[in-house]
Amino acid sequence: MQIDRFVEKDVVITAVRGRLDSSTSPKLDEFMAVIPDGSSALLLDFAELTYISSAGLRVVLKAAKLAKGSGVTLAICGLIPPVHEVFDVSGFSTLIPIHPTRDAALAILA
Amino acid sequence: MIIAQLDLRLANDLAELEPLVRALEFFAEASALPEKVAHRLTLAVDEFVNNAVDYGYADRRAGEITVSVRHRGEEVEVVLADDGDAFDPFTAPAPDLTSSIEERRIGGLGVHLVRTLAARFAYRREDGCNVVTLAFTLDG
Repeated sequence: MQIDRFVEKDVVITAVRGRLDSSTSPKLDEFMAVIPDGSSALLLDFAELTYISSAGLRVVLKAAKLAKGSGVTLAICGLIPPVHEVFDVSGFSTLIPIHPTRDAALAILA
Repeated sequence: MIIAQLDLRLANDLAELEPLVRALEFFAEASALPEKVAHRLTLAVDEFVNNAVDYGYADRRAGEITVSVRHRGEEVEVVLADDGDAFDPFTAPAPDLTSSIEERRIGGLGVHLVRTLAARFAYRREDGCNVVTLAFTLDG
């Protein structure tokens, strides 16, 4: 798994590549534990995420809770169909805004 | 080439997951499984092996987990067996899927995901082992 971070118009974008499972999710958890000062929104770009398990969902929910408590929006973009299916079945699709692409997300968040 | 069957034997150690996932990816590719079916298959094995290793051996004894994957007609069938403490995963309560972000409980989603995505699932205790059988339809 690889994690990259960019900032575009006060939106902090965290792009995750590869697999988010029990062995890799602690790394993302660490990354999402602090919300950078001045952020208006957080975007998890999962366009290159090929796999997610319940351990990955746990980190996403934790990050969403932290953002909500800090008054910052957290959104997700770019889910491939098998990953989107996991978000749907876990009930996360109705909890966290999911955008088809990074551009579509930024059009709303920025 | 079509690989019809995959049989793996692992120790009750999370370090076994990485080679296990590689083997499943190889099976999925060699059997030309649709993307969604491959993801469901890996998810099922990942969730159940994690649970068995984390909760099945409270006294930390060494144990053995076997994973068999079979391509059968319009289905992929998975049989997972572990010699851990007796536990039927399908008796776990349904998770909360509707409350707000603040109230949503973290965790408890693994078994829910797998049982929802599987076409059928069953548990039996046999010869000192927990045996879980799952089937996924190939049309996703």
